[in-house]
Amino acid sequence: MPAKCFHCGLNIPPQFNFHTNVLGNRQSFCCPGCCAVADAIVNNGLEDYYHYRSEFADKASENEDGLLQKLKIFDDDSILQEFVESHDDASEIQLTISGINCAACGWLIEKQLAKLAGIIKVGVNVSSRRASLTWNNKQLKLSQILSHIEKIGYHAKPFQPEQHEAAFRQENKAFLKRLGLAGIMTMQVMMLNIGVFFDLFGHIDAQTKQYFNWISLLLTTPVMLYSASEFYISAMRGLRSRTFNMDVPITVALGITYISGVFATAQNTGQTYFESLCMFVFLLLISRYLEHSARYKAAQASANMLEYMPTTATLIDGELLLPVLAKSLKVEQLVLVKAGELVPVDGIIIQGQGQLDQAMLTGEFDLISKFTGDKVLAGSLNQLGTLTIKVTASLQHSTLHQISKLQTQAMSTKPRIASLADQFSQYFVVAVLLIACISYVVWLQIDPSEALWVMVAILIATCPCALGLATPSALSCAIANLNSKGVLLKRGDALEQIALVDWIGLDKTGTLTEGKFTLTQCINPRNQPDIHFFELAASIEQYSSHPIARAFNQYESPHTVTNFQSEMGKGVSGYIEGALYKLGAATFMDFQVPKSMQTCNVFLQSDCGILCGFLLTDKLRPQGTALIKSLKPYSVNLISGDIAPIVESVAKQLGINNWLAEQSPQDKLHTIKQAQAKHHVVLMVGDGINDGPVLAQADVSITLGAGSDLAKSSADIVLLDNELAKLQIIFMIAARCKTKIKQNIGWAIGYNVLILPLAVMGLLSPWMAVIGMSVSSLIVVVNSTRLLK
Amino acid sequence: MSSIYVLIPLAILLVSIAIGVFFWAVKSNQFEDLERHGSSILFDDDLPKKTPKTQSQKQSPLNKSDE
Repeated sequence: MPAKCFHCGLNIPPQFNFHTNVLGNRQSFCCPGCCAVADAIVNNGLEDYYHYRSEFADKASENEDGLLQKLKIFDDDSILQEFVESHDDASEIQLTISGINCAACGWLIEKQLAKLAGIIKVGVNVSSRRASLTWNNKQLKLSQILSHIEKIGYHAKPFQPEQHEAAFRQENKAFLKRLGLAGIMTMQVMMLNIGVFFDLFGHIDAQTKQYFNWISLLLTTPVMLYSASEFYISAMRGLRSRTFNMDVPITVALGITYISGVFATAQNTGQTYFESLCMFVFLLLISRYLEHSARYKAAQASANMLEYMPTTATLIDGELLLPVLAKSLKVEQLVLVKAGELVPVDGIIIQGQGQLDQAMLTGEFDLISKFTGDKVLAGSLNQLGTLTIKVTASLQHSTLHQISKLQTQAMSTKPRIASLADQFSQYFVVAVLLIACISYVVWLQIDPSEALWVMVAILIATCPCALGLATPSALSCAIANLNSKGVLLKRGDALEQIALVDWIGLDKTGTLTEGKFTLTQCINPRNQPDIHFFELAASIEQYSSHPIARAFNQYESPHTVTNFQSEMGKGVSGYIEGALYKLGAATFMDFQVPKSMQTCNVFLQSDCGILCGFLLTDKLRPQGTALIKSLKPYSVNLISGDIAPIVESVAKQLGINNWLAEQSPQDKLHTIKQAQAKHHVVLMVGDGINDGPVLAQADVSITLGAGSDLAKSSADIVLLDNELAKLQIIFMIAARCKTKIKQNIGWAIGYNVLILPLAVMGLLSPWMAVIGMSVSSLIVVVNSTRLLK
Repeated sequence: MSSIYVLIPLAILLVSIAIGVFFWAVKSNQFEDLERHGSSILFDDDLPKKTPKTQSQKQSPLNKSDE
């Protein structure tokens, strides 16, 4: 068995040999990254972390040289304003931290930061994977703090909390208070009344009983007025919009029980059910709280995904080059875009030429050459050449922003499937209210003293509590299960909808393919080993930053190249041992391309003719074929912004019959809407900015962890480890979840139908009804937890 | 039996204090992170400032929890 890395617990590749001393023993590590992190932890005297932790840490990334530079932009004042609250010298910020796996991580980060001079207060929240930080902004810069966290293997970024999150948090606290109060009071009232019920105190005289009633009333009143207030508000809201929600019968039952209890106590006659009332409220609140906190957690997790990395630009101000934020740029300003940088805003090239990668915007992956006078779009990547751009539209009016606006619109028109339980409980509630009224009238004729309690028992026993729990409990268990498998669900009911999906749309670049060129074939007529040509090509391409060059990275480049030249959109050339070699497109060659090489797209020539041809394609992700096979029962569609021949070949390789090429974000949106108009339930899988709107429009959407921020913000499900095979697991769990929901609903209805005649006949007193209701809810919850496995 | 006329009001008083403490705990974010603070008592809070750790100090968290 191979040795495991002491830091991250992964297998150590045999050729690696990294060691350091931790806790007095020599430990081995899988990579220089993990070793450096462990070193940093030990050197700071924090090695107790390894003592405390209950989980392995994430594998540390290799040290990036550009990291410090990247973090530097967080020192810009205009960025700080958005996230940081400042009082005099003290600044406060919320950070999202990835890599936190157990409580010891929180300890480690706090201790590590506490050592920095200038840190005033630091608190790490392990369950939400966040930290709040107060520091002295005269002594310390934010970038220093962030790089200090990077050193021990965590990644911290400022983030934008979702708008609802503050409300969620407030509600969560209110829930806890109501729940706590109801719980404590239930215990007290139960203690008094159980004694009375079962004669534990021996004979109790009427006066003492009366005293107990008054105490119970006193203790129940806060539960009734404070803890249960949410039910009344929700019932009122429902009635005002002319619907009967579950809270209507609850409110009626609570009201009757309490008021009649008050009369009985005051007049010293009749029965009181304060203990049942308290317990009823307590149990209801437990289920509501569980449901709410599951949603709160999902909201936190999805906000953590939206790490904020602002786009910067280099502004040309006379002779000076100033780094500024992209969103502060104005029309007519000049911006410099170097090779490898993102074009920050829409504009016109006024100087220079370059090759742009617009994959993020169009999905098309080949480079496009742009010259002076051409328009460039924000969000495209400049791969080659230096451009001076005149801004034609500020960021709010850029194409990029328009795509994100399209996404917001699509989000608001997204079809919503009303959940089965909600529809059903509508009718159920009306029926229960009717039956309760009728039984009351009938019982008035039979035994007027019992009539009220029969009615209350009916309302409590048939409380559709188990019915209300049926869906959320199953969903939250299934979501927890998926979370542990690396699938993040941002919207709980997405799972319910997945079970209905019959039309699947797949994006090509970056989703089914890896989104980079790979060498798939080499045709050389001269019978020499291929490796000879690979090395020649690699030697020339090592000076180029074109995506094609990266395909040759894996080969050695033993030859010295002089006089390297690159011609935009055609290819590269250079001298090796005095001979001129050219590598590039067919039009770049000085000779006729032989017939045998016609399938190739890149050629290598020397002075004496074409040596060989290479076929470079965007490699398919390994699990693609198996995935498509497993999706046979659905209508699978490939929707890509790329040109037709490429899309067709990918579709053929994977066995997809329906494919659409050269689709703009609007076209894609239209395609999805058409499918929806034909009553298909659409699942969309995509990753680019151009997929943002479709992901928002589709009934359910899935994106990859490596996808663009825009895609992540509109998708319902994120595959954190980029493994497409997880799709099958999602489908499987969604199907299991659906069965569980059906079972739950079946049980809840069955129980209610069974108990109703008993309650109508007056065989059920309110306290039995409460116990029956809670047992039936409990069975539903226990059944749901089986989804965790 | 007459003692209950004193004891029960006393119990109610204690319960109201308990509820007050609970509300205060919720308000001061004590229930925000249940994963972390459950085990934070086991972690050593006062690490030595500069000197590297000695063997006996390493054991300290375990000893503490034994006591």
